[in-house]
Formats: sequence, C-alpha cells, structure tokens
Amino acid sequence: MNATLLSLEQTPPLSVPIRFFLTAPLFGILASILLFYDGPELFNNRWGMHTLALTHLLTLGFITMVMFGAMLQLLAILAASPVPHPVLVSNVLHISLTLGTLSLAAGFLNGYNWLMQSAVILLGFSFLGFISVVGYCLIRIKDSNPIFTAMSLALSALAVTAILGIGLGMLFGFKISLPFPHILTDLHLTWGLIGWIVLLLIGVAYQVVPMFQITPAYPTRLTRWLVPLIFLSLLLWTVFYVLALFNKVPILFPRILMGLIGLGLSSFAVATLTIQKRRLRKLPDITLNYWRVGMLSLLLCVILWLANIDSIFLIILFIGGFVLPVIQGMLYKIIPFLVWLHLQNQQGNNPMKRIKVPNMKKIIPDKQARYQFWLYMLAFGLLIGALLAPSYLNSVASITLMLSFLFLAYNIYSAVWLYWRVSREIAAIV
Amino acid sequence: METIVQTLSQDHSRCDQLFAKAEESVAKTDWKRANTDFANFRAAMERHFTMEEEVLFPTIEKRAGQRIGPIRVMRMEHQQMREVFVEMEESVTQQDSDEYLGLSETLLMLMQQHNGKEEHMLYPLSDRVLQHDAPSVIKEMQQKGDQL
Repeated sequence: MNATLLSLEQTPPLSVPIRFFLTAPLFGILASILLFYDGPELFNNRWGMHTLALTHLLTLGFITMVMFGAMLQLLAILAASPVPHPVLVSNVLHISLTLGTLSLAAGFLNGYNWLMQSAVILLGFSFLGFISVVGYCLIRIKDSNPIFTAMSLALSALAVTAILGIGLGMLFGFKISLPFPHILTDLHLTWGLIGWIVLLLIGVAYQVVPMFQITPAYPTRLTRWLVPLIFLSLLLWTVFYVLALFNKVPILFPRILMGLIGLGLSSFAVATLTIQKRRLRKLPDITLNYWRVGMLSLLLCVILWLANIDSIFLIILFIGGFVLPVIQGMLYKIIPFLVWLHLQNQQGNNPMKRIKVPNMKKIIPDKQARYQFWLYMLAFGLLIGALLAPSYLNSVASITLMLSFLFLAYNIYSAVWLYWRVSREIAAIV
Repeated sequence: METIVQTLSQDHSRCDQLFAKAEESVAKTDWKRANTDFANFRAAMERHFTMEEEVLFPTIEKRAGQRIGPIRVMRMEHQQMREVFVEMEESVTQQDSDEYLGLSETLLMLMQQHNGKEEHMLYPLSDRVLQHDAPSVIKEMQQKGDQL
C-alpha cells in the first residue's frame, strides 16, 4: 500500500493556515502607510532603503506570508503528505517570519545594525525551517505530478533567494563585505519573483483554475514542460548574466534567456485566459476577475520588458497587477471553504445536528468581496497614475491602497469571527 | 484496456457538466428547468457514489486484505456531499437562488478537492491493485449504476 495515502485524513487544524492569512493584510496596510509617508521618493530610487523596506513588506509580509500558510494546507489536501506537528511548525514559522519581516523593514528604514542582525537571524531561521519541513513532505511523495514538481522547484528557488537575501542582509547588519552587491541583489530579486513566487503560483494554478470555474485542464504538454523549462532558463540566465557583466559573453545571451522566460510566462497567462474562457461555470465570480486582471498584467509585464521600460514600473506592475490580485482571488475561495469544512467536520461529531453551518457565500458574502475587488483595482490604477504624476496622486493612491487592504482584512477577520461563533455554538450542543 | 482512472474521471466530468447546468438554471431563476437539472445532477452523483461504494471500494479492500484509510475518507466525503444535496434540494423547492448558489459554491470546492484526490491517488492505486481485472470491475460498476 502507498503509505502516504494513509494519511489522507490528517487535515491540519484551521489555526495552522489561517494565522498566515490573518497577518498578510496587516503587512499590506503597513506598506500603504509607508507609501503615504515617503511618497513619490520611493519610486525614484530602486536601491533606496525605503524602497527596499516597502518591497519586503509586500513580498515577505504579504506574499510569502500567504504562500507559507497555503503550502502547509495544500500539502495535506492535494498531496496527502501533511506537515508533521503542524501547530508547532506553523507557530514557529509564523512568528519568525512576522518578526523577521518587521525587523527587516525597520532595519531598512532607520539603519540600526541590531535590527538588520535580528532580521537575518529570524528570517534565516524561518526559511531554513520552511524549506526543510516542506522539502521533507515533498520528498515523501512517491507519485510525480506537475504540481509537486512546481512546488519542489519553487522551494529550491526560495532557497536560492533566501541564501542571497541573508548574504545581503549580513552586508548591512554585520558589515561583512560581499563582492558585487548590486549583482547579488539582481539575482536575489529575479529568483524571488520568478523562481519562488511565479513557479509556485503556476503549480497551484494547474490545480485550482480548472477546479474553481470547471474549465478544461491545462494542456498536458504545458504542465509537463513549462515549470522545469523556466527553472532551467533561470539557472542559465544566472550564469550568463554574471559572465556578461564581466564581459565574458555578449549581453545578448542573458537577454535571450530572459526572453525565453518571458515567453514561458506569457504562454502560462494565455493558457489560463483560454481555459477560463471555455469554463462551464459562467456565473460572476470575484476570483475569476482577480485572476483575469493578474494574467493580463503578467502579459503586459512581458511586453513592457521587451520594450525596455524601466524596472521600477515593471516591478510595481508585476507585484501589484499580477501577484497580489491572483493571491487575493485565491483567498476568497480558500478561506470560506476552510471555515465551512472545519465547522462541518466539527458538526460531524454531533448526532443532533441542530446548528446549520453557513455556506461559503455566507462566510464571505459576494458583495463584500466585490467591493473590495473594485477598491483594490482603483488603488492599483491610482498607483500606476502616481508613477506617472507622483506629486498629485501619491497620497490618494496610498490611502486607497490602505483602505483596500483594510477591507480585505475585514473580510478575512469577519470570516474567522463567524467561525469562532458557530464553532462555540456547535461545541455547546455537544 | 479500459482503466479505472479513465472511466471514473470521465464520469466526474459528466457530473461537472450537470452541476454547471443546474447552477445556471438556478442563477437565471428558471425554476422549472432548475428542478429537472438539479435532479439529473443529483442522480448522476448518486450513481457515481454507488459504483464506488458498492463495487470499487469493497473490491480494493478485499484485494488489499485490509481497511484502507483513504477509502474511509472518501466515504465520509460522499456523506458530506449528500448532506449538501439535501440542503440544495430544499433551496430548489423554496426557490431560494441565493441559498442554492452559496451551497453550490461550497459543494463545488468539496467535490473538486475530493475528485482530485481520487483521480490523482485512489484511481491510479486501484488500477495498480486490479491490473487485468480492471475491465471486469468497470463492467460490474456500470451494471450496478444502471440498476439505480
């Protein structure tokens, strides 16, 4: 018998993933506040300390935060390979990631060495923990499947990103000297955004896009080759990028590889939009809206990259237009479902069954999700506007962004509040 | 050779189509069609559950010579879906489209993650256990299903 199959029933407690989802929007709010205070200055200098603080509040505090929680849940649901000691593991990972991100942002903002040192230690600990635990769960899976391949490669990319990031953090915190910090920063950024974030999102999309809207599956050739090819191109790009900087190979080499990666990302976006167009479920759906925005922004990113548009604009479009929408869209399915599932399971032990478990649309009503979506879209539009005309729009953009994260937090917190209320009612009867 | 993976995965898609059809009728508040469409969807699901619960699962457990944890989970999830069907039927009777659409959203997630586990793990496992006997088990399942 397949031993991993036997653990199918071990869904981790709700608290395991939900603490990450509850924390993420708070970092979005912090990022918006920083944007409000610093204003347009943030966009002018990619190497500025405040820009780095903002970037990490979003990439670690929001994006990685959600991805940690989602992975701990997905390993149990999709892979039947649950994380051992889930409550302990999520406690340790969540606390170290939260405090590490806070110290990193604070360290960037005020330059104290001790903050940067504690960030290096806390984040190093968190990533080492996450990579070892999740790596162990992935190795344990015997079946090969495009989703698990994507998860494994994304995890390897996270390892590369984290090592480079820790090295760069030590440069600030411990004043060690590192050769060519700007090159290392470029590698850190590329591996983080394309390797860790995108590869994982692609892998998860293979599973959830057909599931949410009943679409045809992604083409088999795409799911088999896309993620491994992007990963391989990223490896080769790294080598050629470094060689090109030392004039050992023409600068065209790494550009061609990045072009191939762009081609891969566009084929993912086009495939997603195409299968979504052929969906059986035609009802209005906020997750679908968020994903469509995400895929169009991803395509636009590739086009603008080809047109040599400056990198700050691209990064904002990539994070704000692609990654954040896709993640928010997913949260609107995962959170209500988990709340329902855990209440339903709790109810299962009660033969009287007198409490009616609210359905997903009562846990986060469509209307609330829709308003939040439009508010976020407005904030994103204003943010793009602020890049072009900083002095007028920046404060409006940052306040709107903050409101959209507050609204997201409200939607998530009220879902969890409802869980507690109903769970107590069920417990009272049992 | 026919496999469990092919046969039952195709049946999942058939149920998905009926699910979408019923949901669309409810969204349009075409209650006459919604009644029929929901009944068709529910019947297809019951047929699928019966084929698994009365033929496939017992055969696999007999071959393996032991109770299998995942099969217990699959049965439990069938039960959870049946409970949602009951509520959905009530909402069709009461012509409450909001209630139905909330329930169908919930059922879809439950159903899809359940199907995913079956298609990626349980069915391949069944094909490995049954080997050449898969076609005869499939035939038996279909006969059982047609009796409903």
